[in-house]
Amino acid sequence: MTTVMVGETPVRADTEVTLERRADGQLWATQRGTVRAVSVRRCFPWSEPGRLVSLRDQEDEEFALVSDPAALDRSSRRALEEAMVEAGFVLRVTRVLDIEEEVEIRRWRVETGQGPRRFVTRLDDWPRALPGGGLLIRDVAGDLYHLADPSQMDRESRELLWAFVD
Amino acid sequence: MDIELQHTNEAIITRYTDQPVRLPAELRRAIEERWDGAPVQLYALADLDQALSLAETWVALGPNHLATARRSGERWVIESVWRSRVEAVREAPGLSASTLTILGRPGDPALLVARYTHRQRRAFENLRFVLEEAIAGRAIPTPDADREYADGVARPIRDAQALVAGQRIAVIRRLLGYLTPYRRRLTLGMSAAAVITLVSLVPPYLAGYLIDRVIRPAQQGSLPLGRASLIAWVAVGAMALVYLVRQGAALVRLRLMAILGEWVARDLRAELYEHIQRLSLAFFSRKKTGSLITRVSADTDRLWEFLAFGVVDVSLSLVMLAGLSAVLLSLDWRLGLVMTLPVPLFCWLIYRHGESINRLFIRAWRKWSRVSDVLSDTIPGIRVVKAFNQEDREIARFGERNEDVTAEFNRIHHLWTGFWPFLMLGVHTMTVLVWVFAVPRLLGTGAALQAGTFVSFLLYTTMFVAPIEIIGQMARTMNRATTSAHRVFEVLDTEPEVRDAAAPVRLEPVRGRVTFEHVTFAYDGVRQVLKGVSFDVLPGELIGLVGSSGGGKSTIVNLIARFYDVTGGAIRIDGVDLRRLDTGHFRRQIGMVLQDPYLFHGTVLENIRYGLPQAALDEVIAAAQAANAHDFVCKLPHGYDTLVGERGHTLSGGERQRVSIARAILHDPRILILDEATSAVDTETEREIQQALERLIAGRTVFAIAHRLSTLRKASRLFVIEDGRLAEAGTHRELLDRSEGRYRKLYEMQLQLA
Repeated sequence: MTTVMVGETPVRADTEVTLERRADGQLWATQRGTVRAVSVRRCFPWSEPGRLVSLRDQEDEEFALVSDPAALDRSSRRALEEAMVEAGFVLRVTRVLDIEEEVEIRRWRVETGQGPRRFVTRLDDWPRALPGGGLLIRDVAGDLYHLADPSQMDRESRELLWAFVD
Repeated sequence: MDIELQHTNEAIITRYTDQPVRLPAELRRAIEERWDGAPVQLYALADLDQALSLAETWVALGPNHLATARRSGERWVIESVWRSRVEAVREAPGLSASTLTILGRPGDPALLVARYTHRQRRAFENLRFVLEEAIAGRAIPTPDADREYADGVARPIRDAQALVAGQRIAVIRRLLGYLTPYRRRLTLGMSAAAVITLVSLVPPYLAGYLIDRVIRPAQQGSLPLGRASLIAWVAVGAMALVYLVRQGAALVRLRLMAILGEWVARDLRAELYEHIQRLSLAFFSRKKTGSLITRVSADTDRLWEFLAFGVVDVSLSLVMLAGLSAVLLSLDWRLGLVMTLPVPLFCWLIYRHGESINRLFIRAWRKWSRVSDVLSDTIPGIRVVKAFNQEDREIARFGERNEDVTAEFNRIHHLWTGFWPFLMLGVHTMTVLVWVFAVPRLLGTGAALQAGTFVSFLLYTTMFVAPIEIIGQMARTMNRATTSAHRVFEVLDTEPEVRDAAAPVRLEPVRGRVTFEHVTFAYDGVRQVLKGVSFDVLPGELIGLVGSSGGGKSTIVNLIARFYDVTGGAIRIDGVDLRRLDTGHFRRQIGMVLQDPYLFHGTVLENIRYGLPQAALDEVIAAAQAANAHDFVCKLPHGYDTLVGERGHTLSGGERQRVSIARAILHDPRILILDEATSAVDTETEREIQQALERLIAGRTVFAIAHRLSTLRKASRLFVIEDGRLAEAGTHRELLDRSEGRYRKLYEMQLQLA
């Protein structure tokens, strides 16, 4: 694993970072004797979601960069993976029930892995094709909706999505 | 915020989301009971549970407590903690969800962990802000909980679309209301259109009459030739008269309605532009310039089209279709049924075709936006493309997308070119069917049918196509008009956020003392850009605002000019709250010189006199001399009468800057704002501008933002603004003496780079 301390020359320092979820609910990182409560940010959430994770402190400064979680010790890896699930959370669309256009906006009604949801996108805010396949829709509030494989969805969903999929 | 906006927010939440418009009343009561009657002051909805499934958990804040209420079946499970235990609040933002952790003593379990999607983020940021302010020992006014929650959830949707849709009829009615001042003209125009419709029915009837009642009887000898000739000529004359009346009415209708539509569009444009001028800067930061220009130009133009022709065409097509059906059925009900029965089917087919083509258009527009993306990327960035030798890649990228969009448009052409001939084939099939039914009868089998009646009938059938087409496209016409009307009314319905008090105060004269008292400010109502900034600037002081980008320097000067109102605290001018001042009068005491000075299309003279159009020419020259602009202006071929063109492109950056300084000098403001006024020019020009600025700032209160710290050595005091706070204040010397000072660090960094 490579860790990079902010403001220093990047160094390879395998297993230097340890992570734990403490009773206060926060993820704590320790590196070279420095301990910080951190949040995680995937550097490449779509093209390389499992690697290269930035650990950010309360000031949103990078505390360390974990290039490969697999190189961490077991408990650190588990703590990081849990945090990555939270940090990488998006609503997973399983079915599209309705898409309607109004003035300057498009209304969506969908079923997601997390429950039913209605949301609104701008008319000119088109779904984005992801590098690893699938579509990503961003609503006006900034929430993200992931359609892993539109071609495998039910017929009605595919019909509704036809105009938005290549 | 008024009640109307609250209603709009609640309507938006109901229409576009699945969440409640406010904290359920019974839950609010239960929480307040738990708190011994203390009120809920602020709340937010955590719409994700610990397993990151959509859920309903409310987080409520009271004067002394913090509570969570989780739905468990029909019950609410309420947990409450004392606010006094809260020592820190942490927010961990993720891709589409954030986690708010409220902490007690270090090492203790978290007091509360809430997970929520970005939709709830503003409401949670409000909670977080209030808690953090309390931890820092700062009290903030009690907010209106329902209002803050609804605004936080609805605002992004409201910003995307100000009017809640579903009020199409109301929008059309409101639009038609603009016709009221032109009632007489409208009535005349509609009457003319009605005349056109009615008289159009006459020629086919006359044709049939002539054949059956004149020509055939004359040929058969049952009508004397002289009489037949007379009747025929009268009928031909009547026909000529009908055509004359028809075209006369067409002229009246077209001219009246076109001009009327233009007047309504003019009224809308004027109202819109006047309203835009009064709107606050916050509105302009939400809306793109292009979108506003489109509303004043293209949208009003589209409304002209609808009012001038759409309204009349649609209503008269309905009349025409009804009239034609009645005439056909009365001429011959059997043949009439053949023609009229399929009409609803045709209208439906056209409607369905519109829907299908709309779907194709969505796809084509999406692909078209990909073509536009390449253009808007590479044309402004052409130097980068060339520098990295990426021309071929960009050509290939464009080519691929161009092919793609062409294929989509061809798909559209494939559809409509297939549909219309198919539809016309349907119409012709009806005509053939009419012949099929008519021929035996014309030849004497079955019910009698006279040749003239049949000719009239055939002529009427040719008139069927146009109204069918208009009615079939009625939905699209209405849709386009309501979309434009929505966009126009959205602007008209936006209230300026900066408004004068009921009895505004005029400071005569403004002395120039500027006091910030615990000023907080958020552009979006949540994220605090200024976090409790306090200072007191005396009249005539030159204050240098320094610090890293995004720290809040520009926000401070925007607030001084009252482009926005503070979110918390107060700004006082000569001791009077800025919100109590007459804004127009106050702004006349404010001068601004910006990094990229904006010159309007017009002459140098008009630009210098922009704030004071009545200024005498010698005053203009004096101002230009003080601004080091007079010399270069005199060298221009047309002197002060030189047109500086759109955004002053014919002048160099330094020249434009000096014209803008002359404009500020002539304006003679008491408070002057210099925002990076010398950053975009070379050293020699900077020296000249600096000289001009020194003349300009004499005797005024000045706030100068500069990244080049050397330009601020003469400042009375320097304010270092970092992360929305006043980090340091003092003279250049005092701040340099602080060994660990932020200013000293910045200064040393710049020295190293120099």
